[in-house]
Amino acid sequence: MVVRRSNGDVVESFGSSREVTAPEHEITMTMNGPHQPTNPWAPLTPEQQEARKVVNVNAETVTNTAATDIPGHYGPEQDDSWNLERFRDNFRIDFHHNKPHDAAFSLVGCDASISNAFRRILLAEVPTLAIEDVFMFNNTSIIQDEVLSHRIGLIPLTGGEKGLRWLRWFRKKPPTDDFASQAAYDADGEPSTPSDYNTVVLELKVDCRWATEAEDGRDGKKLAKEGETDPNVRYVNSNVYARDFRFLPQGQQGTYFSGDDAIRPVNPDILIAKLRPGQKIHLQCHCIKGVGMDHAKFSPVATASYRLLPQITITSPILGADAKKFARCFPKGVIGLEPSDESDPDSEPKAVVKDPMKDTVSRECLRHDEFKGKVKLGRIRDHFIFSVESTGQLRSDELFLDSVRLLKAKTERFKRHLAEFEEGR
Amino acid sequence: MSREQYNPAPLSQGGNAGGSSSQQQTTGGFNITGASNTFEDTSRPVSYLCGDCDTKVLLKGGDAIRCKECGYRVLYKERTNRMIQFEAR
Ligand SMILES: [Zn+2]
Repeated sequence: MVVRRSNGDVVESFGSSREVTAPEHEITMTMNGPHQPTNPWAPLTPEQQEARKVVNVNAETVTNTAATDIPGHYGPEQDDSWNLERFRDNFRIDFHHNKPHDAAFSLVGCDASISNAFRRILLAEVPTLAIEDVFMFNNTSIIQDEVLSHRIGLIPLTGGEKGLRWLRWFRKKPPTDDFASQAAYDADGEPSTPSDYNTVVLELKVDCRWATEAEDGRDGKKLAKEGETDPNVRYVNSNVYARDFRFLPQGQQGTYFSGDDAIRPVNPDILIAKLRPGQKIHLQCHCIKGVGMDHAKFSPVATASYRLLPQITITSPILGADAKKFARCFPKGVIGLEPSDESDPDSEPKAVVKDPMKDTVSRECLRHDEFKGKVKLGRIRDHFIFSVESTGQLRSDELFLDSVRLLKAKTERFKRHLAEFEEGR
Repeated sequence: MSREQYNPAPLSQGGNAGGSSSQQQTTGGFNITGASNTFEDTSRPVSYLCGDCDTKVLLKGGDAIRCKECGYRVLYKERTNRMIQFEAR
């Protein structure tokens, strides 16, 4: 194990030289050489503390990728033990925007394992309601029953949040050819029967016909003879949309899902099928709660992802035409130009870092010789810029809180199992 | 599951498995294939579609296979009137 990977004299100041990690053989050399640090076990200096938070993005390589805040990594005098008080003081959440379908925020001061756990729980473990069983009464459209069923299963639904949280799991029988999960299923408990607290019923009943003078104020057949080609004019219900789903409340569902809280598709304009006169679709759906690890239709998010905050350090001034070229190496708004002499607004422009959050870390600036040795790129290891895009059933920020609750429940379950294990049960 | 193998759940009231609390005792199980459902009724005459003039032709057992409007002898069978269950997967 490397107990001491940095030496005091290489790190002079944050910015000028932030190479704290050096190959092991180099450390042994410097330890015996003229620049031997006074105490090889000394705690990290504030500069080293900052430097170890940075993942270096170099022209060809990415270095310093692993976190080092593990007790004992830097020897006995560097205190990296986990401490709730310290975590609470350092941890921060900054919201960038918070819309129901798109939230972006920064988690600052937590480990990648935690951030990644939240992301994975969001994708696969936060339960949502989706169409599961389709009872096809009639379908004479050109889209086949199986394909139509799969298609409507993917339509995101929404409804009153209180009611959605009131809904319980429906214990669905596993496929008959999966003997292992069948045995497990039979071993614990009775199968569910569809009830108001675990199943939501939707109906889709659409008939397509020619437009008539009496019902629609236009004679579709006559218009067609006159050369009308638009199906929306000639026919009625030639397009089946998600808004055509009708919610059939069962039992107590009327109290939870009434008015604005009714179960409905998030996007009413999703095109489900196209019909021609005489064709019809009549089906009922049972919607149940499920999780994304079972089927993607249950995933509450379109995407939940994070990236690390980019860091751009200009180590020696970039001036004049070079500054303009430098700014063009980055997305708009990342690099700004300021007069190099603060007292003289007409002095040569100087490149300054305005908003590293907007950077994509394309490394374009590292390809040009004029910036060689003048700029360092990196990412902050513990600054996660989260982006949660809900499919619309629950609010994006609420989904993140759900993922936190789920992780908490999982750790509590794990602790309980550990305790049982310790007691020899 | 093979097609047309759907067994409707029993209509018994209050037969809720899976830990229903006392608050939920009042809510009965429900299913979509109840007594009022006419989709399983096979005693009525079957309708076909004429291959020529596209009108509906109602035929009972023993009837001549012939369109009553235009006399065309090719009739198309309509889709089954039975409910078929699918998984939205
Ligand atoms: Zn005919």
